[in-house]
Amino acid sequence: MEGSPADIVLFAPLAPILGVILFWFIQLLFIESEKFLLDKIRPNHETLCRFTNFLGILFQSICHALGFTITKSGISDFYISVNYGRVAPKKEKKGIFEWIANAFLFVGPFFIPAFLLLICLIFSPVKFEIITPPQLLELKYTFAGQIMTFGTSLHSFAESFFGFLLNIDLFHPGHLGFLLLLIFLGMGIRPSYVGEQKHEKVDMLYDLRNIWSLISHKPLYVVILFFLAYMFFYVSLIFDKILGVNNDWYIAFFILLGWLSIISIASIIIANAILYLIKITDKLEGIWKFIPYITMPLSYLIIRLIFFNILIDYKLFLSLFGMVLCTVIVTYLLLYFKTNKFKTKRVIKKSKKKSKGETDER
Amino acid sequence: MKDDELLKDEKVERVLSPHPLSFMRFQSLGIYLVVWGIVFGWIVNMSEWGAAFSGSENFIWALLLWGIGLLLAGVVASLITVRWSIFILYAAIFGSGAGLVFWLGLQDSIGLFAPIYTIFLSIGAFVTIEAYRRSHKYVITNQRITFKGGILVKNERTLRYDKISDLNAKQGIIGQIFGFGTITPISQAGFGLGSDKAEATGGVMLGEKKAKIFGMIGGGKEIQNPMARSYYELHGVHPYKKVKKLVEQLVQGNVITPYQKEQVTFQKEQVDIQKQMRDLLKMQSDSKEGEEPESEENKEKKGS
Repeated sequence: MEGSPADIVLFAPLAPILGVILFWFIQLLFIESEKFLLDKIRPNHETLCRFTNFLGILFQSICHALGFTITKSGISDFYISVNYGRVAPKKEKKGIFEWIANAFLFVGPFFIPAFLLLICLIFSPVKFEIITPPQLLELKYTFAGQIMTFGTSLHSFAESFFGFLLNIDLFHPGHLGFLLLLIFLGMGIRPSYVGEQKHEKVDMLYDLRNIWSLISHKPLYVVILFFLAYMFFYVSLIFDKILGVNNDWYIAFFILLGWLSIISIASIIIANAILYLIKITDKLEGIWKFIPYITMPLSYLIIRLIFFNILIDYKLFLSLFGMVLCTVIVTYLLLYFKTNKFKTKRVIKKSKKKSKGETDER
Repeated sequence: MKDDELLKDEKVERVLSPHPLSFMRFQSLGIYLVVWGIVFGWIVNMSEWGAAFSGSENFIWALLLWGIGLLLAGVVASLITVRWSIFILYAAIFGSGAGLVFWLGLQDSIGLFAPIYTIFLSIGAFVTIEAYRRSHKYVITNQRITFKGGILVKNERTLRYDKISDLNAKQGIIGQIFGFGTITPISQAGFGLGSDKAEATGGVMLGEKKAKIFGMIGGGKEIQNPMARSYYELHGVHPYKKVKKLVEQLVQGNVITPYQKEQVTFQKEQVDIQKQMRDLLKMQSDSKEGEEPESEENKEKKGS
């Protein structure tokens, strides 16, 4: 067995945990930017904000309910509204059970919606290949080996997942449905939501404070969790060595969490792009603000029709890329001609004088 | 509301109509038709399974697929809403579509006909629902609420605030997102209340050939709920919170509260006391006036 005993016994189990924490932080950062955009568009798009709130509360409530179900507390009350969600247990359980249920509430929204999407992806008719770690490389039970396995598996998954996203066929109902689910998921992944009215600062630090208080409140439970993770690693290692197989179940579990993080990050990026488009088009007035939204499907349709009889590779990707490019160009052209964006002060003054002169003549 | 329809001192506070999404339970039937039309068109014409449904020899499979998609949705929707009319509607769509396919000889082009027919019908459904929605008009005045609705038959209900005994308000998830909701005023006569009835029956038949035992057991439950036709309630009004507050204020302003009742009784008593005092004073002054001439006569008598 490669690696020093200290490396195998102490550090190797930590590797995938650190990897997951890293991805989770990236997720938190993207969530923060989404909250910022939602806050910006709130005055003009109250309905959309209410919808995203509802999605956030729905995911939170489902996770909380799942926590109560797993701890066998049962559910006596399940209530969701646009501003508020309430899940009450049938049996009030204290100690570790309460802690697990709360952990599901705070951490669950990061992973559980993405897990549902992963299930959709695997069982849908969409062609999507998942590669497991043993298929990629020989497993090594050291810190470096575990990190490499984790990273390689995530890289292969990200390649496959983003490859699918970039070649999505918007004329395929399955693909279109998946994209819509992805967008909804991206808009809903928030451990804490922006309420109907902003009463307090609910940001990344607020989320972290919540999780930290959960940890600091009962540090023993965290130690138990780490102990269980280490035990899981040793059992997995011994099992593999005895049977002479290459299925590291320990790393597989954390790789799954990493995949979920990648799905979540991708969905939040797409949701952010949509929110950014909404924010930009708010600067346009009248009918002009709808032009980018009309350009999007229209350009896709035209490009697909152009490629209908032309046999080339990557036509799905090119259609998607063409659609995004057309929308971006049209939006920025509109911003340039219809607003004062991208103009120098001199040009603005000149255009003001010109319009004033026209009105005086009249 | 026209001026000649207004009562004396009546002032219109708000004229409302249902929100475009407030009839979503009907609109969802049309949305399903559009979605199924597109999915069916994709399966038959563009998917990898398209070969199994193309050609005149396979048209029956395509027809079956189309029908199953409609009827299955009809059964599910009927079971959820406990309304068999949805299943009957979808069955009628399937039946009429299948009839047209055979009558017009469109067996070869069912992949094109069925999606167009489904989407065309859904457009018809959307137009009808929109016309129905637009027929609704709720006028809130300072004295009463007038409800109007109906495309061919015009229904109208007028409710005075002092006749409202209870207000029921309801807001679904779509309503919460878009800011609309339904307010059902329940009158003292019970108008605005309906009942949900659930029944379960079971039967068993035993025995062979001649000797048969037949038993049946059943049960029913009826629950009274606030419900009314959409033209007899403030259905899907926007902005919900403001309208609710306005109606509540108007009801409050027109219905006498226990404190106000006490005050009225007290004032009545005060008025009665004042009346009695006035009568007494009048009687006293009358008696004084009657006494005074007598005393003068007496004086004269005394003087003579």
